Amino acid sequence: MVIGRKCAHETGTEASTLAHEQFRIRGKSLWQGDFEVTDRKLPIESEDEKVKPDSMSRRSFVKKVGDVSTTSLLGTAALMTNTDEAQANTEWAEWFQGNYRLMSQEEKDEACARLERRYSAEYDKKVTVDSTPAQEGVLFGYALNIQKCIGCRRCAKACVEENNQSRGDQEIEWIRVLKMEKGDFSASKMSDGYPDSYGIQVGGNAYSASGVVLEGEHYYEPEKVPEEDSFYMPIACMQCEKPPCVKVCPVRTTYRDPDGVVVVDYNWCIGCRMCIGACPYWARRFNWGEPKLPKESMNPKTHYLGNRPRMKGVVEKCTFCVQRTRNGRYPACVEVCPVGARKFGNLLDPDSEVRRVLATKKVFRLKAELNTYPKFFYYMD
Amino acid sequence: MKKLMSFVVDYWVYVLKGGPKFYAWLGFLCIFVVTWTYGNFMQLSDGMIVTGLTDQVSWGLYLANFVFLVGVAAGAVTVVFPAYVYKHEALHEVAVLGEMLAISAVIMCMLFVLNHMGRPDRLWHMIPLIGIYNWPGSMLTWDVIALCGYLVLNIIGGFYYLYKKYTQEPLAKGFYLPVIYIAIVWALSIHTVTAFLINTMPARPMWHHGMMPIRFISTAFAAGPALIIIVFTIVRNNTKLWIKDEAIDLLSQIVVWCLGIALFLTFSEVVTEFYHPTEHSLGLQYLIFGHHGLNALVPWFWFSIIAMIGSFILLLIPSIRKDFGKLPYICAVLFLGIWVEKGMGLLIPGSIPTPIGEFTQYSPTLIEIFNCLGNWAIGFIVLTLLLKGAIGVLLGEVKYASE
Amino acid sequence: MQANKQTVVSMLVKLSGILVALCALMISVSSVALAEDKVCFESREGASKVTQKDIGEELKNVECSDTTGAVLWWGDPYDGTQPMGDMPIEADYAHGEAVVKARTGQLNLYPVCGVACHNGAFPPPVEADTPPRKLTMHMDLVPDSLNLQHGNGGIWCLDCHDAKTRNKFVDNAGNLIDFNQPQKLCGKCHGQVYRGWRDGIHGKRIGEWAATGKKRWFVCTECHNPHDVQQGERKSGFAQLTPEPAPRLPKGMENADHERHGGGH
Repeated sequence: MVIGRKCAHETGTEASTLAHEQFRIRGKSLWQGDFEVTDRKLPIESEDEKVKPDSMSRRSFVKKVGDVSTTSLLGTAALMTNTDEAQANTEWAEWFQGNYRLMSQEEKDEACARLERRYSAEYDKKVTVDSTPAQEGVLFGYALNIQKCIGCRRCAKACVEENNQSRGDQEIEWIRVLKMEKGDFSASKMSDGYPDSYGIQVGGNAYSASGVVLEGEHYYEPEKVPEEDSFYMPIACMQCEKPPCVKVCPVRTTYRDPDGVVVVDYNWCIGCRMCIGACPYWARRFNWGEPKLPKESMNPKTHYLGNRPRMKGVVEKCTFCVQRTRNGRYPACVEVCPVGARKFGNLLDPDSEVRRVLATKKVFRLKAELNTYPKFFYYMD
Repeated sequence: MKKLMSFVVDYWVYVLKGGPKFYAWLGFLCIFVVTWTYGNFMQLSDGMIVTGLTDQVSWGLYLANFVFLVGVAAGAVTVVFPAYVYKHEALHEVAVLGEMLAISAVIMCMLFVLNHMGRPDRLWHMIPLIGIYNWPGSMLTWDVIALCGYLVLNIIGGFYYLYKKYTQEPLAKGFYLPVIYIAIVWALSIHTVTAFLINTMPARPMWHHGMMPIRFISTAFAAGPALIIIVFTIVRNNTKLWIKDEAIDLLSQIVVWCLGIALFLTFSEVVTEFYHPTEHSLGLQYLIFGHHGLNALVPWFWFSIIAMIGSFILLLIPSIRKDFGKLPYICAVLFLGIWVEKGMGLLIPGSIPTPIGEFTQYSPTLIEIFNCLGNWAIGFIVLTLLLKGAIGVLLGEVKYASE
Repeated sequence: MQANKQTVVSMLVKLSGILVALCALMISVSSVALAEDKVCFESREGASKVTQKDIGEELKNVECSDTTGAVLWWGDPYDGTQPMGDMPIEADYAHGEAVVKARTGQLNLYPVCGVACHNGAFPPPVEADTPPRKLTMHMDLVPDSLNLQHGNGGIWCLDCHDAKTRNKFVDNAGNLIDFNQPQKLCGKCHGQVYRGWRDGIHGKRIGEWAATGKKRWFVCTECHNPHDVQQGERKSGFAQLTPEPAPRLPKGMENADHERHGGGH
């Protein structure tokens, strides 16, 4: 298996250059969680320090205050990069970082390294944040066999195992499985129609599911699937070739990467939710609060644009498991499907499974009339 | 420079001195600012989980108020336009008050947008050059330009006029009139762009039609002047500034005609969507009739329709419309009706059902309500202070006393 | 008196010592029992068990569902696999490395197949018109061997199992087929499905997505129960499964009653 691009990063903590006074910052940043500020003893090395206090002139006093302020700021910055609280030091620099797509490789490596430090401290395990770019000659595509899908929802849960979504009462699932009840045409319903003087003009079979229902059920929970009268349709991000979400984003935080995956730079998102409004497939989710991800459930192999743990106030969605697919592996949903309904591969390779499906099966796309050109196809045998 | 400094000082000295009613009003508003502080603290520290918003209904009360207030801000043009283009004398005297209303409305809009954003600390990402500004692709960027531009135009236009009045110097028409004319066109554009924000998303069939901008403008030009009429009535009864009857009369006529257009548009929408209802009409069906037991918005819809139709019929009658005792109350009911129609009647049902057919309900939490009331209170505080100063200048009580 | 008291005390001490030892033994045994490995199933419940274990730094071989016991995630898709071996015909499938998991490991009876009865020596071939008789010892595997739920009465046991070498399958020419290569057996009747499986369209693969990548192919009997493919009335070829739980209801919704029995309008 191809190993992804590793980030260059320092290991261990750097020795504090201001060794004696441990300047620990503690406070509550409204948006970045706790960090520490306690004892405010500053190591000042300005010349004025050597002047006795009584002989201080007004000018030197002002200068000294100036020095203290500057030094305290610099000292703060220096010490913040040297505190044990990885969270404090990385979040300051993290807040200032630019948009990922415009970063140079060094900046990307630095950003990944910062995140690795922060996540490793938060989750008590060695977390890697990959920055593997899109491969040349690869355009990811997906095909789902609705003839086979039994609605077991394992794809939705496997996705959660892999992608570090928030859990518990703030649960997020990227895949939503719809149950399409078929219903029946029956003679007994014939008289339910809307009559008028010319006979029944709205047939009775229109008032309940007949053939197939108009709207799917989302919260079905039967004993066993597939249920007799239903078929199932899982929906997640379609990775459109012409994504409406990308068009409406005011800060270009969501964009289409060269391998066709529509990604989100979680550190750049301003949380305006225009993209959620624009997506015709309801594929995008929002972190309304700080995500609740237990340490045991955290998957430590992450990608910057993929499954790394998000923060509150940002949007997320299916990325075709970039952390896996850019290193050669199938997405988690493809692997778990017990009926083999999900096919994935490189649309530019005629030998790939997904291309074989497109060549031999009847396929359709959801809401094709909206001209979003999804790369997620549905097919049947 | 000296004159400018003294203008600022005199303005604020005049504004901050008032009678007991004035302080009672400000004090009342400050109560809401206190709860607003709490609400914003909770939202900024815990995130938007403190609101009632969900992935299914992700545009809620904040954006509803924003969309409504952009209309109110645009409605200030109903004062400025007749004043300058039709040289309506009565409105010309008090046009600057309309600009003050526009300023406070735009400030409220910006507060609501900040409340709506998940990460207001990352607002700098939108600044061109240091961030990324996705213009002209993203409609939101057009809206930001429109709102900021409108705010600047009104501040420049309004305060230039007041400053010249204060120093008793003549207005430089070559500078002032273009600002006014641009502001008039810009006012129409801010609400059109906000309508485009909503109606350019095929994912939301309830909004995705060409009628949205004209519907926005017509309801804006009914709600905006309605508020201005109420404000003018309060100004007439509590200050020395007498706003002429013709001003209020013209504004009430604008209200009636624009309300009529808005009702006609609503009627045509209902007929179009319900003649042969499709899956695309589900949002409207949910709003008007409820869906399989989910009825939360139905009473709001019927209230707004009755308020709008009732006000329309009453205001058509000249004897009622010209009765300046009754007029402000009818305008208040109308204002409320249009607010409900924009918020509960348009923004919320746009997300119900979701694009893949899930019906959910949305109800705001207390913190959301605190933040909304607080934003309105701040807007009204700004409006009160700006109006007071402007009235002082118009009356000549705030005058540059050259030494 | 004194001596009696001392004996009683010493007896009591010995007794309590034994009791303590017994308790410790019970606790250690039960803790061993409690530290039992998590076992979940990969595809067919009961016929594709895998035990969860650590295979690296913070990496487990599988993650299991707490509600259904199904495997949700593979840490290492090739754990426990072996090369697939040859395909009998020129296949046009992509030439990446193919591995499978041995089926014999999942079959409890396999070690004794073919040796438990008749001491490994089979009686001479029976007459062609001898009616098949029920084998009572296989009732746990085959619900009703006289009414085999496969082929609607068209096939019986020895159409698939070799008459003499019971731990092998047999093809139409009499060649033996290993239990770990069921595709060669199933493909003799289900040709179209076999071709689809070979092309990657039917069935399941995990591992690398590239056409030339290394994949673990799931063989036929990992998903299908050959002794009950008709599934009674369902006639579906694939047994029903217990689904995973529904997503959480959003704020503001107490139940999902409004969406039940969806219909026309």
